[in-house]
Amino acid sequence: MTPPEPPALVYAFAVCRGGDLPGTALDALDALDVLAELPGLPELPGLPGPGTGAPVRTLAAGPLTAVVQDVPAAGFGEAALRQRLADRDELERCARAHHAVITAAAALAPTVPLPLATLYLDDGRVREALGERETSFLSALDRIAGRAEWGVKVYAPTGPPPAPQTASEAASETSSETASAVGPGSGRAYLDRVRTRQRNREQRHTLALRAAERVDAVVRGLAVAARRLRPHGVEVTGAHRTHVLNAAYLLDLGRERELHAALASLRRDETDVQIELSGPWAPYSFADGGIADGGTAP
Amino acid sequence: MTERDLVQPPPPITGPRSCDLAEVLERVLDKGIVIAGDIKIDLLDIELLTIRLRLFVSSVDTARRAGIDWWETDPALSSRAARDALAQENAQLRERLHALESRMDPDERSAIGAAAAEKGGGA
Repeated sequence: MTPPEPPALVYAFAVCRGGDLPGTALDALDALDVLAELPGLPELPGLPGPGTGAPVRTLAAGPLTAVVQDVPAAGFGEAALRQRLADRDELERCARAHHAVITAAAALAPTVPLPLATLYLDDGRVREALGERETSFLSALDRIAGRAEWGVKVYAPTGPPPAPQTASEAASETSSETASAVGPGSGRAYLDRVRTRQRNREQRHTLALRAAERVDAVVRGLAVAARRLRPHGVEVTGAHRTHVLNAAYLLDLGRERELHAALASLRRDETDVQIELSGPWAPYSFADGGIADGGTAP
Repeated sequence: MTERDLVQPPPPITGPRSCDLAEVLERVLDKGIVIAGDIKIDLLDIELLTIRLRLFVSSVDTARRAGIDWWETDPALSSRAARDALAQENAQLRERLHALESRMDPDERSAIGAAAAEKGGGA
């Protein structure tokens, strides 16, 4: 039932406004051509034929311009992609190549990043797809023009591991009132210790969450839009800290200094948490891949 | 002195490559992902990211607008494929029923046929 696969697909990275990329003409194309030589999408091992390293090019579609690259269908079909993106190295390569092209485009003109592995059958399909979403792309471009995304992450240190703590805690609690009623080795003393530890942990977490809210409020004040992203799990943060705020902010270009100053002051005030800043990013979190047209998220 | 954790050195502010990757992935994969499946990313033997990748947006429609439709044949990802699977099963069951019916004696079969006709199911 599946239609015969064409030998090449068109990988779409990003969408810009029509006048913008060709306006900067040769520089833009040169910059993007350089990217084709990055170890990334074009240089995939095990692909048949010499068809690697096709240049990243622009494709005009009405009032929009897509940043695209021809890729071999063999490496980007369902099975191939599934397999490759399940492989850590390949995923990293694809993500970095995708990101590199988007970053390069965003440096040249307001850019709506498209989802990873956005593939079309041919140029005509790209134009068609862009045409269908023209309005939302244009309004997304309006929204992000002259702005960049910044990421702010707030972490709370987690308590020390329970095992080494119990010995010292047991010793210190022998003089407490619980210990006078029951021996330090008793079940109730143990439960008390567990409860205290739990309470401390909760308290610390509450404090960290409040600190995160304050950080968010300050940075939000500088931004034109903000979005909460999903906090990372311990796999990413490491066991010694928990993620209490993962947010993205859309800031006007030129407000970096204010942002840095605000964060420096926040770091001085909020000593219970660690605050990390990343950016500037292409507006990944605020362009919606041109899919939604809902303006800025609250 | 239970706050030993505070003595721990804070992580480097500008993350190493690995951190960077987590951030890149976070953004590149954020609702933009079109691939389905479970992806595990291990860096330096540490499980860095476990990303559960399901269909990237609320509807298959939106995804198809993004130019990709191969999941439509996968029952785990597509309701239509699931329906097709159902239809297939249905056909198989019909076949078996037919085979069983043909083994019955004629009286019984006509009785069932009459009952079916009464219910309004022709043929």
